[in-house]
Amino acid sequence: MKIYLKLAWRNIWRNKRRTIITVSAIIFAVMLAIILQSVNRGSYEVMIDRMVSFNTGYVQIQDMRYDEESSLDNSFWYDEELRDRILNADLRIERMAPRIETFMLAANHTSTRGSVVFGKNPQKEKKFNDFENYLSEGRLFEMNEQSVVLARGLAERLQLGVADTLVLIGQGRFGMSASGLFEIVGILDHPVRQLNNNGVFMALDTAQHLLSAEGYITGLMIAPVHERQTNSVASSLKEELKDEELAVYTWPELIPELLELMEMDLATPRLLTVVLYVVIGFGFLGTILTMTLERLREFGVLLSVGMQRFKLSAVLFIETIFISIIGVLAGIAVAWLILVLIDPIYLTGEAAQAVIDMGFDPVIPMSFAADQFYRQGFFVFLVAVAVFMFPLIKISRLNILDAARS
Amino acid sequence: MAILQTKNLSKVYNPDTVPVHALRDVSITIDKGEFTSIVGPSGSGKTTLLNMLGGLDKPTSGSVWVNGEEITSMKESKLIDFRLHNIGFVFQHYNLIPVFTAHENVSFIMLLQNRSKKEIRERADDLLEQVGLGDRKNARPVQMSGGQQQRVAVARALASEPKFILADEPTANLDSTSAMNLLDIMNKMNREQNVTFVFSTHDQRVIDRARRVITMVDGAIHKDEYRDVEETAEN
Repeated sequence: MKIYLKLAWRNIWRNKRRTIITVSAIIFAVMLAIILQSVNRGSYEVMIDRMVSFNTGYVQIQDMRYDEESSLDNSFWYDEELRDRILNADLRIERMAPRIETFMLAANHTSTRGSVVFGKNPQKEKKFNDFENYLSEGRLFEMNEQSVVLARGLAERLQLGVADTLVLIGQGRFGMSASGLFEIVGILDHPVRQLNNNGVFMALDTAQHLLSAEGYITGLMIAPVHERQTNSVASSLKEELKDEELAVYTWPELIPELLELMEMDLATPRLLTVVLYVVIGFGFLGTILTMTLERLREFGVLLSVGMQRFKLSAVLFIETIFISIIGVLAGIAVAWLILVLIDPIYLTGEAAQAVIDMGFDPVIPMSFAADQFYRQGFFVFLVAVAVFMFPLIKISRLNILDAARS
Repeated sequence: MAILQTKNLSKVYNPDTVPVHALRDVSITIDKGEFTSIVGPSGSGKTTLLNMLGGLDKPTSGSVWVNGEEITSMKESKLIDFRLHNIGFVFQHYNLIPVFTAHENVSFIMLLQNRSKKEIRERADDLLEQVGLGDRKNARPVQMSGGQQQRVAVARALASEPKFILADEPTANLDSTSAMNLLDIMNKMNREQNVTFVFSTHDQRVIDRARRVITMVDGAIHKDEYRDVEETAEN
């Protein structure tokens, strides 16, 4: 094998200039494809990261009916036994945070607004996100405390501040009346825009009591040790809970609309990438075509002296792959370097203000997601395989005598 | 002992349009240790015959036998493998692999045979010494003269320990000194190691060294004579 690798490696450098031009074209295509996608994905990744860490978790367990009807009636009993079962179902589970969530009316002394009330365990929540860091005024609530933290948007709409009292009116579990007065201990600039406009946050046990749902939660947020373990952890949990009336979701299942939006936005750079690879593919084909045709006599000689056609084809394939690998690795390296240098792009002026108004930092972050790097390698490999068809067919049909005479 | 035999070998090109009879009923037997030249004017069929002997072309009729095995009916992949282990080739244009050194060119055939690294290294060293290129083993073809390249080609042909070596106009591109030098080497291998050589050639210097000369005219054997080369050389 070593000799074939050596032969292929030296063959690609027979005409250095031609190989360098081809490799440069691949580098350019890979680099451009990565940067295009990285710029587009960066902002979405921030959104998704916020949604996952603040809202859904990587995996979430709900009552099996909750997805269709997000009602407290479809909450589920969560105790130490269930907690231990879940933790033992997969040792890759690192963190869990139980929550209860429902719609209620939030009011001051003169007006009422719709709100989403979250009951959270502040200690467990901290392990999922930097919730506390978004507090712009006051402090975080504590367990068993008749207090709330109000999202900035809702606080402004109700014209309430720290130390004011918030009225919550709604319906608890199984139609029980739920209402109460709560001291506002903090104002939070929630990073998820929608929640910033309607979020009310309180201690889990306080919320359970308010909603007549002691011991019940609407969702259990779960995080594995590594993000990539999300699907396998979800599978383990599905297996463990298959006999329960519980459903296990991964975050893409919980926020499909955001992913669809991202996919739609990525369609343009992906189309450009395809066009780019088609163009580069023809250049690559030109090089391989020339490398093949100018060596027909040599191929004839190699077949004459006893080299099997498949071995000769393998050498040509290795040559094609070598060119691809050099191009892909260098392209990834250049793209990585550029992304590191430009990340993030700071917005100024009206653009910056528009982004701030939407609840985001005025920057365009770059995505460093691994898949957008190795996918380019895969695409170039596909191009290489397509390009390799020419020498493969040529060698399979090569007439030894004609080749030797060429 | 016959190591190479053709029986009523015929080759017709363009049989359906304008038939060209490249070979007509050629039957020859070549024994081990022969130093044979196939000679004749251009178009007489000597290269076609050589291609048939090497299994590079299929006859229209007749058969070729190498060491008792018929090669004309072999499937291609088996034939390629057969050539690898039984037939050595020396080409007019040397046809070395340009990206390999002399040593790698000689070694390559043995690598295709899956021999051990130690054996390959030692045999390649030995063969390059035998052809007088022990000090040029790391040179690439482009760094060598035509004569040196052809000597590497001879070493390469011998590397697989073939039953015989087919050489198609091996001296055609060489100057007089290089040609004589090459012939000396091949002659020495023939006499000392009993290596069988079959040439197709126009070169009188090669013909003069051959102990058997097969003359072809219009695709048929016109004359087949055995000679005492040393007497010829002295004369």
